[in-house]
Amino acid sequence: MADELYLENIDEFVTDHNRVVTYKWLSYTLGVHVNQAKQMLYDYVERKRKENSGAQLHVTYLVAGNLLQNGHFCHKVAVVREDKLEAMKSKLSTIASVHVYSIQKALLKDSSPLYNTDYDIVKTNLQHCSKFSAIRCAAAVPRTPPDTPRVPEPAQSPQRQRDPNATVNGHGFQAAKPPPQQHKGIMGMFAAKAAARAQDTPKEAKAEAKEASGVSAANSKPPTKNTIMNNFFGKAAMNKLKANSVPEQPKEEKEVVNPSVAVAEPESSPNTVAEKPGKKTESDRIQQKDKKSKTKRADRSDDEERDPENVKKKRKRIKQLLSDSSDEEADVPPSPTPEEERVPSPPPEPALKTELEPASTEVSAGGKKRKRKRVLKSRMFIDEEEGCMVTEKVYESESCTDSEDEFPKPKAPTPQKQPMLPTKRQPKEERKNPKKGAAPASRANKQVSIMGFCQKK
Amino acid sequence: MVFWGWGRSFSGGCCALGGSQSLNSPVYFPDPSLEPHAMFSEQAAATAQGLLAPPSAEPPTFPRVAVSGYSDCSQPFQLGERSFARQYSHIYAVRLAGMRPGLERRARSRWGNDVVLRRLSELHEGEKCCVVGTLFKSMQLQPSILQEISEEHNLVPQPPLPKYIQPSDELMLEDELQRIKLEGAIDVQRLVTGTIVAVYGCEQDDGGFLVEDHCFADLPPPLPWSGPSSDRYVLLASGLGLGSVSGEALLSTQLLVDVVTGQLGAEGEQSCAAHITRVILAGNLLSQNTQSRDTINKAKYLTKKTQAASVEAVKMLDEILLQLCTSVPVDVMPGEFDPTNYTLPQQPLHRCMLPLASAYATLRLVTNPYQASLDGVRFLGTSGQNISDIFKYSSMDDYLEILEWTLLAGHISPTAPDTLGCYPFYKSDPFILTECPHVYFCGNAPHFQSKLLQGKEGQRVLLVTVPDFSATQTACLVNLRDLSCQPITFSSFGADSEDGDMELEH
Repeated sequence: MADELYLENIDEFVTDHNRVVTYKWLSYTLGVHVNQAKQMLYDYVERKRKENSGAQLHVTYLVAGNLLQNGHFCHKVAVVREDKLEAMKSKLSTIASVHVYSIQKALLKDSSPLYNTDYDIVKTNLQHCSKFSAIRCAAAVPRTPPDTPRVPEPAQSPQRQRDPNATVNGHGFQAAKPPPQQHKGIMGMFAAKAAARAQDTPKEAKAEAKEASGVSAANSKPPTKNTIMNNFFGKAAMNKLKANSVPEQPKEEKEVVNPSVAVAEPESSPNTVAEKPGKKTESDRIQQKDKKSKTKRADRSDDEERDPENVKKKRKRIKQLLSDSSDEEADVPPSPTPEEERVPSPPPEPALKTELEPASTEVSAGGKKRKRKRVLKSRMFIDEEEGCMVTEKVYESESCTDSEDEFPKPKAPTPQKQPMLPTKRQPKEERKNPKKGAAPASRANKQVSIMGFCQKK
Repeated sequence: MVFWGWGRSFSGGCCALGGSQSLNSPVYFPDPSLEPHAMFSEQAAATAQGLLAPPSAEPPTFPRVAVSGYSDCSQPFQLGERSFARQYSHIYAVRLAGMRPGLERRARSRWGNDVVLRRLSELHEGEKCCVVGTLFKSMQLQPSILQEISEEHNLVPQPPLPKYIQPSDELMLEDELQRIKLEGAIDVQRLVTGTIVAVYGCEQDDGGFLVEDHCFADLPPPLPWSGPSSDRYVLLASGLGLGSVSGEALLSTQLLVDVVTGQLGAEGEQSCAAHITRVILAGNLLSQNTQSRDTINKAKYLTKKTQAASVEAVKMLDEILLQLCTSVPVDVMPGEFDPTNYTLPQQPLHRCMLPLASAYATLRLVTNPYQASLDGVRFLGTSGQNISDIFKYSSMDDYLEILEWTLLAGHISPTAPDTLGCYPFYKSDPFILTECPHVYFCGNAPHFQSKLLQGKEGQRVLLVTVPDFSATQTACLVNLRDLSCQPITFSSFGADSEDGDMELEH
């Protein structure tokens, strides 16, 4: 019977799950008005006590009223244990309200479990925290959101199936795609140097899909080394990230030191937003997230899941983003080029791209063919360890997934970079499910890059 | 039954009508003795136990009482472009120039219309006259950075003291050109630097000025009253102290939010809470613990991965404000430990720090000091730095007394910029009180106190010292209809005994 259903629910929460059931928690969980939740708790306590079923219940009450203190009346609101209820009531000159605050199996020593329960449930329901309250405020309407770059949003909305996940909130959707979003967020943070890269990174992050863990590991490495990255990520993100390959670390370190992270973020955020066309709050959240600590980002991304079919979509989107509104699968030659010509690209990106590629190739099951063009580009970056600027000539492969193959500029000693490149490339390529083109191409490139090394100094 | 009508003062047991008062004052306001004082949620007692019952039909939802009139009057405290290229002497000059006319008027009314008003440069020895000037108190214990870094003294930096006054302190009067030492009927210990005062006496042959009497600017002219006719409450709270190490106050903070948003309490109380039209948070939203500056003291490699404590605290603040903003308009004033500028007037917190809450139009980030007109009632208040600074340099011990004294002295913070950081104003001093507010409050006081002050010209001011919530778990409810104030305390149970503190207070 519907009426009794709540009794069973409360019974389950209290006895089976051994929870501290506060009225607020019950109100959010069952979706009822707070006053109804209080009454439900009271009803449950009464019935349980009548049954004398032997299960011990501890109840806390809320008492409010006027108290004569220091010669004047003050309004007192107190949460008391059941055994102190009468004592408190007798102290008050007039009682304004009494109701059940919480029920739990164990006797509480102090009120921190009550606070924690309420804190958790409110945190997960922040967007509608006054929904079940007894007071409605007509004036509490959200402001019109600030101008957010939502250009990619409408064009790509139909294709995004990750929409539910992309919502920035993290609270709303616990749909599981943490790794890709995480990457997206982290990559977004990295990306600063080139706007394209910023866009690329999230795309690549998305493209990763399942393999996220590998990439995230890559991402995680730099934070451990870099203070700035620490500041970005915060502890939560760092915990989630796992260290991975060494080469990826150095790259990532480098890219952190860029002021344009903020630039990257808004750019990645539109990407995120793009996934969810209609959801304003989400974009607001995204904006907010950009401003908030990166921990939230990581959290949010952790909460989200990728489904396989998104990989393909991601690819599409990446391309679209690159070309800024073209749906074709063909290469986007012009866009990556100028993008790549922009300032030193963050080192992790190449690493990530490397990782991404195998993932995407695997997942896409050879669906799309990537046409890749190798372009010799000069790449400059600051090597933190050595404290110098390094210029490399590297062949970058431009493809729909947007370049990659600048194989890790590892934090290994600079001079060794070029010579190491060939060796590094090979292990990397072996790691990637080799794209046939990739391996020979890279090998072919090695020689060229060595030549580049000789020339540059 | 103790009668405790609205006129009662709770500080030091003095009489209900404090300060300068006159029984012949014209009554601008409804006579309070004719109307019963309505306590918050007094009428809730009827349905107090209503929720100790099985679930009933659809429970009522109460609409929040709408704000009928709000206007922010803190424009003088909002600094646009700031330039620190000027000296602080300008602020004293404009302060004196701004307050001189009022003080001369007061002097005439007090000592007769024919009292001789002189500048210090025009003094004649032995002539009884009145001089208007700025007080300067030279204190030996006053922390001086120049002395601390001076090598010839080899001084150890002085630890902060609760009070810096000493019997050997001296009082000087300065005007635009000269200064003179004051002696006589003037309480050196009580007064602080920066106060504009009119002294009546004569110059001595030793060069000092013998004071026979002195007066301050007194209460500023009254504002017309257009308050609401029904009960409307404003909740004043300060010192939430988020980010502190101890979590005791956290549940109390949550209870406060729940009462205001109408989640806590029986129906009667919730309907009363719906009459709370505004919440003003008067500073120190963050705890002092968040101010640790490890980055300065510790080596960089130790602090590399640490995050400032204020980051977590601001996130918590954002969530709390979000809960409040979805239900009630909130004005947030920054305080001593909040992430904004140090000098007075403190600028509003930036909304980028509060992304969740600032999405709502009900959140207003305001300056410290803050002045606004709510439903026809003028509020003016600070987060307490001005009062606590005067506390340090004066013999006055009671926050309510100091609050009243600043009102009578006609200046919110006389010790700025001497001992309290202040922006170098040069055009006008925005801390001069030009109109008498209806509610004058200061935040972060040690305890709750309130007093209704009546003025000679019909001013009626409710003085409230808002206690530090993290220490006292007490906030204040001001009833706009009759300018009464009631504290609201929250408590929970802890490992230690919680019911013993009640009796100790008497």
